[in-house]
Amino acid sequence: MAHPSQLGFQDAASPVMEELLHFHDHTLMIVFLISTLVLYIIVAMVTTKLTDKLILDSQVIEIIWTLLPAMILILIALPSLRILYLMDEINDPHLTIKAMGHQWYWSYEYTDYEDLGFDSYMIPTQDLAPGQFRLLETDHRMVVPLNSPTRILISADDVLHSWAVPSLGIKMDAVPGRLNQTAFITSRPGVFFGQCSEICGANHSFMPIVVEAVPLEHFENWSSMMLQDT
Amino acid sequence: MSLPKPVMRGLLAKRLRFHLPIAFGVAITTALLYKFAVTEPRKKAYANFYKHYDAVKEFKAMREAGIFESVRPAGK
Repeated sequence: MAHPSQLGFQDAASPVMEELLHFHDHTLMIVFLISTLVLYIIVAMVTTKLTDKLILDSQVIEIIWTLLPAMILILIALPSLRILYLMDEINDPHLTIKAMGHQWYWSYEYTDYEDLGFDSYMIPTQDLAPGQFRLLETDHRMVVPLNSPTRILISADDVLHSWAVPSLGIKMDAVPGRLNQTAFITSRPGVFFGQCSEICGANHSFMPIVVEAVPLEHFENWSSMMLQDT
Repeated sequence: MSLPKPVMRGLLAKRLRFHLPIAFGVAITTALLYKFAVTEPRKKAYANFYKHYDAVKEFKAMREAGIFESVRPAGK
């Protein structure tokens, strides 16, 4: 989860998010390069009375400031497209989960083998146990097996929502009447938090997402236990 | 004895010839600083983290700390 006064991304918990982190570093480096260059030139131009009287046929500078940005954009586009195609690779998921957005909670369905479904409501602030995180905890978490490619199908029951978990590098709109698909692998065990990312009404800020990654045997025990409870 | 004729032309070009290489140099230095102060250390940090990562050991520690809801600490 995010910590107070955090500026950068959360630690990556999936391979795709790691790639996105490194791509962001690469692109930000280019941004700093361009910004420093432009700032220096602005200061140099503003602190002189010298001007060019012959502002005609400035073909050389025009060519330079067309080609240079084009090359920079290619430097940004190539890694970006690499990650885009990486995210779309056929990944043969071991598990499919359906996440439905409602006003104002998420519901999850695990229907690969049995019919497991449950709702996930935010825990109100007054009901939090010591150590729990305000506005982030839910009564039921979406549990996934560790290191297993997982497909998640996202839709909504009423209005637009968006299922987002930053540390996994996932954000996908939940559109009523449409099924959006994304996939992820959790690289390490843990608990990963997210929040609804599409304005959906009064309690849009109060329908968080919690993903719990545990080894497969514990995931199987959990799903058996949940089936018995329901 | 007359004074030497002062330079009257190419003053802006001279200024540009002085400042543009410095501008590019500073910009590239900034980019390299960011690359070696942030980008490369971050890549190494992730590589080192996962090089000897024992997911089972970490999971057991997290389980005992009681952060999971799907699995209680051993003995409970």
